[in-house]
Amino acid sequence: MILYDFEYERPGSLKEATALLNESGDGARLLAGGTDLMPNMRVEVVTPSLLVSLSGIEPAAPEKRADGSIKIDALTKLSDLVDDELIKSELPMLAEAAHTVAGNQVRVMGTLGGNLCQETRCLYYNQKHDYQFVEPCYKRGGDCCFPFPGNDHNTCWSVYMSDIAPVLIALDATLEILGPDGTREIPMADLFTGDGLNPFTLGAAEIVQAVIVPPLPERFGWGYHKTTVRGGLDFGTAIIVIALQLAEDGETCSWAKIIYGAVGQGPLRPTTTEISMKSAVLDPPLIAVAASQEISPLPHHGFNKGYLRENIRVYTERSLVRAIARARDKS
Amino acid sequence: MDQITDRTTVNGKKSRSRVLEMSINGETHEITVKPRVMLLEAIRDKIGLTGTKDGCESGTCGACTVLVDGQPTLSCISLAVENEGKDIRTVEDLADGDNLNFLQEAFLDQGGTQCGFCTPGMLMSATALLEKNPKPTRDDINKALEGNLCRCTGYNSIVDSILQASDQGVKPRLL
Repeated sequence: MILYDFEYERPGSLKEATALLNESGDGARLLAGGTDLMPNMRVEVVTPSLLVSLSGIEPAAPEKRADGSIKIDALTKLSDLVDDELIKSELPMLAEAAHTVAGNQVRVMGTLGGNLCQETRCLYYNQKHDYQFVEPCYKRGGDCCFPFPGNDHNTCWSVYMSDIAPVLIALDATLEILGPDGTREIPMADLFTGDGLNPFTLGAAEIVQAVIVPPLPERFGWGYHKTTVRGGLDFGTAIIVIALQLAEDGETCSWAKIIYGAVGQGPLRPTTTEISMKSAVLDPPLIAVAASQEISPLPHHGFNKGYLRENIRVYTERSLVRAIARARDKS
Repeated sequence: MDQITDRTTVNGKKSRSRVLEMSINGETHEITVKPRVMLLEAIRDKIGLTGTKDGCESGTCGACTVLVDGQPTLSCISLAVENEGKDIRTVEDLADGDNLNFLQEAFLDQGGTQCGFCTPGMLMSATALLEKNPKPTRDDINKALEGNLCRCTGYNSIVDSILQASDQGVKPRLL
């Protein structure tokens, strides 16, 4: 049981939901699958006075639009993303990323939008209080950042652990966001502020409504790896996502994107390395070294910077090799 | 963080209880709950079916798995009010009186239970799997049971139980 009382509303449409959020201000929260919000409410790191449930709204099935782009309802369950034929054939990287999220039950309950808007995580923030035995951290209103005690008072170095967000950035996805004043579209990468205290650029009454993924180019290759300690069910130690396009000769890389998840307050990108990969013949070991040195992974959950960097180097190289092989298969 | 001083009111008012109707193991139940009550507590405390277990309370261990409209769901992190009008099946639905069903018999034959705390969740996850895929491979079973933890670590015998239940050549062990 959640140990305090709150109100609960179940509107019939997203429009009504934004209106409810708009009226109630900061005290209200959206409830979709609840797999992230409910545990957080149980340990009281988030304590909304109103829950606006989206369970009364049926998500639309993923749909291929006239321009070849695919529109996915944000309320789509993760298990439906894994099983959907359209997603499996057109966006296998997205299906694989959705498959790595937690266990079967969580995928059945959790939604795409909820996965993207999940709370950042830290050993001293959203763990059971029984395990903590410490005062609240900055993000919980206290005055010490326990993992980084020398930290400035206004910072929070918790990590954002969505498995799917880095993939959507690699796929150039756009988010359709519904607010009180209508819809707006932003590139996926603009969802993140890079600040652990307030990780999203969403307004209080805004709802991620849909994700739009543009058609993939020819000779497109991808690599995805999620490092975990225990395989299934785990949050990622590091998430490595690579997307690239090869030129017609099957050797030269036209463009490449490398995105790292779970090692920062938002997804990280080694942009200089990405630029150096443009119009070059790729040497995976060299690129892996450059990329892992360029980003600064945030130590989290007991993994130190050196370990994360080495893990990222190894799996960047392997994922890159797979991405190149996949791109060649397609040509 | 909002400091909660008064835990039983919202903005000075008592939060509303709701009357819900849900079908549990084929029987329609009407329960009155506050929004903060989880499906798990509704099933265990309001309806009195204590087969569903309360493990980690944070959606990790899977001991509280029930089937909501045929889908395995973690009842410890699902609000009771969210399940209004849904068709819920718990572990009590499997056996017919004292006669265990084929899956439960297979768990017995293989020694698929040790302390037994994870078993209700395992059984429900396995039921959902077998309804979707009557002949699952070892890999399929591992994937389907990913969200169910067993601290006695009897995973192999649990997987064997499901293979036996799906009639795939695994013979009952002589215990």
